[in-house]
Amino acid sequence: MKKTPLKPFDPKSPMTHPSRRGFLGMTMIAAAGLGLGGFPRGAKAQASGQVIVGISQEPTVFNPHLLHIEVDEGIHWAIFDPLFSVEPDGTFAPRLVTEVPTVENGGVSADGTEWRIRLKEGVTWHDGTPLTAEDVKFTLELQKDENFRAARRTGHELIEEITVVSDTELTWKMSSAFAPYMAILSWTFIIPKHAFGEGVDPNEAPFNQSPIGTGPYKWDSRAPGDNIQLVANPDYYGDGASIERVVVKYVPDLTVLYTQFRTGEIDVIALQGISPDHYAEATALPGKEVVLVPVGTVETLSLNLANPVLADKAVRQALYLGVDKQTVIDALYYGLPTATETYMPQQSFYYDDTLPTHVYDPEEGKAILEAAGWVPGSDGIRVKDGQRLSFVCSTTAGNHVREQLQQFLQQSWLDMGIEMEIANLPPAVMWSDHWMQSQFDMAVAGIIFLTGPDPDTTDYFHTNAINAQGGAGQNTFQFSDPRVDELLIEGATTVSPEARKPIYAEIQQTIREELPFLPLFQRNEVRGHAEALQGYEPNINVRITFWNMQDWSWA
Amino acid sequence: MSNPQTAPLSSPATTSVPTRTSALRRFARNPRLRKFMRHRLAMAGLVTIIVLTLACFIGPYLLPYDELYIDLRARFSPPLTGAHIFGTDPLGRDIAARLFSAGQISLTVGFLAMVLSTLIGTAIGLVAGYFGGWSRVGLMRVTDAFLSFPSIFLMLTLAAFLRPSPTMITLIIAVTSWMEVARIVEAEVRGQAGRDFTIAARMIGAPHWWIMFREILPNIMGPIIVAATLTVARAILLEAYISFLGYGIQPPLPSWGNMLNNAQQYLDSAPWLAIVPGVAITLAVTSFNFIGDGLRDALDARSVN
Amino acid sequence: MLRFLVNRILQGCVLILIVSMIGFAVINLAPGGPLSQYAMTPGMSQADLDRIAHQMGLDRPLPVQYLDWLGNMLTGDWGRSYRDQSPVLDVVWRHLGATLLLMGTSTAIAIALGTMVGVLGALKRYSIFDYMATVGAMIALSIPTFWFGLVAIFIFSLELGWLPAGSMYTVGDQSLGDYLIHLIMPSLVLALVNVAIWSRYMRTATLDVMHQDFVRTARAKGLPRWRIVSAHIVRNALIPMITLAGLQLPTIIGGALVTETVFTWPGLGRLFIDSLGYNDYPVIMGLLMFSAILTVIGNFLADIGVAFADPRIRLG
Repeated sequence: MKKTPLKPFDPKSPMTHPSRRGFLGMTMIAAAGLGLGGFPRGAKAQASGQVIVGISQEPTVFNPHLLHIEVDEGIHWAIFDPLFSVEPDGTFAPRLVTEVPTVENGGVSADGTEWRIRLKEGVTWHDGTPLTAEDVKFTLELQKDENFRAARRTGHELIEEITVVSDTELTWKMSSAFAPYMAILSWTFIIPKHAFGEGVDPNEAPFNQSPIGTGPYKWDSRAPGDNIQLVANPDYYGDGASIERVVVKYVPDLTVLYTQFRTGEIDVIALQGISPDHYAEATALPGKEVVLVPVGTVETLSLNLANPVLADKAVRQALYLGVDKQTVIDALYYGLPTATETYMPQQSFYYDDTLPTHVYDPEEGKAILEAAGWVPGSDGIRVKDGQRLSFVCSTTAGNHVREQLQQFLQQSWLDMGIEMEIANLPPAVMWSDHWMQSQFDMAVAGIIFLTGPDPDTTDYFHTNAINAQGGAGQNTFQFSDPRVDELLIEGATTVSPEARKPIYAEIQQTIREELPFLPLFQRNEVRGHAEALQGYEPNINVRITFWNMQDWSWA
Repeated sequence: MSNPQTAPLSSPATTSVPTRTSALRRFARNPRLRKFMRHRLAMAGLVTIIVLTLACFIGPYLLPYDELYIDLRARFSPPLTGAHIFGTDPLGRDIAARLFSAGQISLTVGFLAMVLSTLIGTAIGLVAGYFGGWSRVGLMRVTDAFLSFPSIFLMLTLAAFLRPSPTMITLIIAVTSWMEVARIVEAEVRGQAGRDFTIAARMIGAPHWWIMFREILPNIMGPIIVAATLTVARAILLEAYISFLGYGIQPPLPSWGNMLNNAQQYLDSAPWLAIVPGVAITLAVTSFNFIGDGLRDALDARSVN
Repeated sequence: MLRFLVNRILQGCVLILIVSMIGFAVINLAPGGPLSQYAMTPGMSQADLDRIAHQMGLDRPLPVQYLDWLGNMLTGDWGRSYRDQSPVLDVVWRHLGATLLLMGTSTAIAIALGTMVGVLGALKRYSIFDYMATVGAMIALSIPTFWFGLVAIFIFSLELGWLPAGSMYTVGDQSLGDYLIHLIMPSLVLALVNVAIWSRYMRTATLDVMHQDFVRTARAKGLPRWRIVSAHIVRNALIPMITLAGLQLPTIIGGALVTETVFTWPGLGRLFIDSLGYNDYPVIMGLLMFSAILTVIGNFLADIGVAFADPRIRLG
């Protein structure tokens, strides 16, 4: 598989080269500045045709700041724009702003606490209202609104005061520097203030069902439980879409989804993609292009370090040695995922490729257990100090491949004298207190550790992020290491990528050594589309594979 | 039930048993049994159920494979590959072995749900029919209420939010299946309560429970047995529905329903994953329905010549 | 009559109240909650989840939440879906059409086929056809609908490629023919059970009518056989079936649930399964209430049907 090295954003260097779209957008603005304001609309090619995108989950949340799932973001990317976006290579490209704020161009102060944003001129909402700095202010302030059920406040909470300088310029102060905020902003879609009048409950505003954005596509219609239709925005400030109509079709069953792709009823299989067992067959389909797309999700066997058995590092090492990872990947996952030793996506600039590679060696595992004092009891299960080497593994009930994985591991580990019970839970139970308050022993979990391209993982590894110990975060492993805590804080407040890289390499080495989770692999999604469709570009830095529909075109 | 002395199949309580052989002979000469034996579909159903039950409870010992044994090299073997008569599943486990051990669970769930719901239904029907008056009105209202519950929705909600184990599934099915029995029993008891032998028993001062259980119950066993047989069929089907939708019995515990849960994904590449357990469910349910039908014909008082 | 009506309405209300209490208690007392599916969102923390739960009022005592919900429901506000923020009644309404289309088609097929099979079976009682129909109906009642659907998809979509494997229409081609071709498999699969039930009832009803005086009179008058059958026997045998149709009303959503899942049909059944998956409490409660109300109305209509149909049958 081809690896795209991920170059980080560096506010100190002018390396934020704009994408093609962004570049053209800027040229237009420049042209406007030269008195060529009446740039004829006719110059833009008329959008035509339609594309049908098949997905296996239904997008239902159209206000990008309410709690939503990843599939909703496919729609958000089409309808809205962030101030700047993160491109597949990890760089930031301007969208609504004239240039990405950096220390060099004065957009960010040297200490990282003062920001200035300049918006493009002449950008309008889908209803014709011009975009102003007030909209940006509204969007950022909405995140902190007492009554608004904002999905996330991280980063936004640090903003202290926002000043609207003019219709196209605003500034704000932050209570402290926060390196990941660039990445967070690249996911923060700007929404129109005028859609939320006085006295309108932002949670229940009509906007939430018929969104108005500045993006390349406009909301057209929704047939609940079936499809959503979008039409090209002819007044888009950028290049605009070349396909006139997008139909996002919800097909809950993967087999039906694949069948419809095979027969040409849908042009693109996006979310969930083609199920692995159909991959080989799909690559041979005439007129279809089938590609593996890396995503940021790392499949883990997450361990609860507060469990008396799993607290023993020897046990964790033995468990890892007993995982026949290659067979799991080849047989259960049809060889599609990429084996990994870390939580960091391999495409990231911060990925440490020097980590020791896992080997499948159950004999070595047994030796480690013997040495640590775990000896077989009368029933063949190892015992130490009266404690049986036994634990429960849980995951989302109904996830068949994971259930298969569990049963395979159960058999492998039993041969080593390790007993694993399987108790799967419905998703609502699995990921509630059971997960967040570390009530599991071992959990099969696919985790996206990063927010966009930023390597910060304080939420996952910092001692203060252990919910079960009164913290707030996602450190459900209950992993605690003073050195890692220090490194995490240092990393989050260090701005230069070159300086951050060794920090995060050390964290990855410690995690690999301590094994708070057994890393299995980084997921690859099998994406398929009609050969004639061009411009479908994956982006590991966003959560959804159909993020750039405005760049799609029919050959 | 014109003559309480020629008791139906399973009420030896009222029959004196002098010697074993004579009891057997009398049993064999029982006109109802003979009528049942002549019911070809019912007999076919009975034979199928016996074979299926034996296969499920003895079969696993005869097969060369353990139902839990994983062999990834042999995954997705079609039926009749080597000793895998029904093929293998996505983990290379033998489907025949899984089918049989799943059958143990599905049949047990069906049977226990039947026992439970029959007990509940009979108790409620007996009390309501025997005492009449307010207890009848009250209990039958409750029965009506349960009957008009949106059962599929309620059942799924219960199964989705409570931790699904075989016990829980059995309880959920039983709680939503006893009403038919209660109605039938209540109607029958009402017919019996005014009869001579009941009145006689009451006159000699027999306690209520004695009359209910020793006098009335044996006489209405026929309809209860018929209803119970049909309840087994219904319960097996319900377990399959809930498990198919993913809210029933959870892997690694196999049940016929959850063997089908995953099958839709492999419908084009490994159709036997869907076909084999589906046939087992259909066979079991059809058989119980046929037996119920045969019993109804045989035990229906009007049809005994 | 008035007493009967008042009585039934009161009973219905109590029933609906009981269903709502059981549903609400089970949903809310079970571990987990509607927010847990968002726990895996990158950057989500327990603090965020707690804050949102508080904003949504999920941290209030259960009785308070229930009374609040009940009060709103009685005033016609069934709450808003957690999943798409629209009012529950809107959500139900938007999925109702698809279910009605599927149920309507399948019921029409079931009535037509069931009447035919039932009447023929009665006319040719104890014939091979009658025997086959009886056995066939028993088997049809025993096959799990979803499995029958899977086998149908396997044969007609995957192997033969004649029919679409799911969905209600092809996007972009919403012609009548397109709807019809998508309707064939799910409606036939769904009709199977109803054909069995309907034909059994119809056979009994026909046998009853056949021995009535007016049929004998008609026969004595020398009317042609097909006229006796169509004008007298079938017409009169259909009267008690109205009751059966009333009792079938509540199965409108429930009956199609599994079929909608197998054929990815965007109706109420699918909505329910999806809502269970997302823990969309207001929609789950809404659908429970909706089906409870339908059940009550269905039983009520069936009772009235019996009251009206009975004397007519006796009068012949």
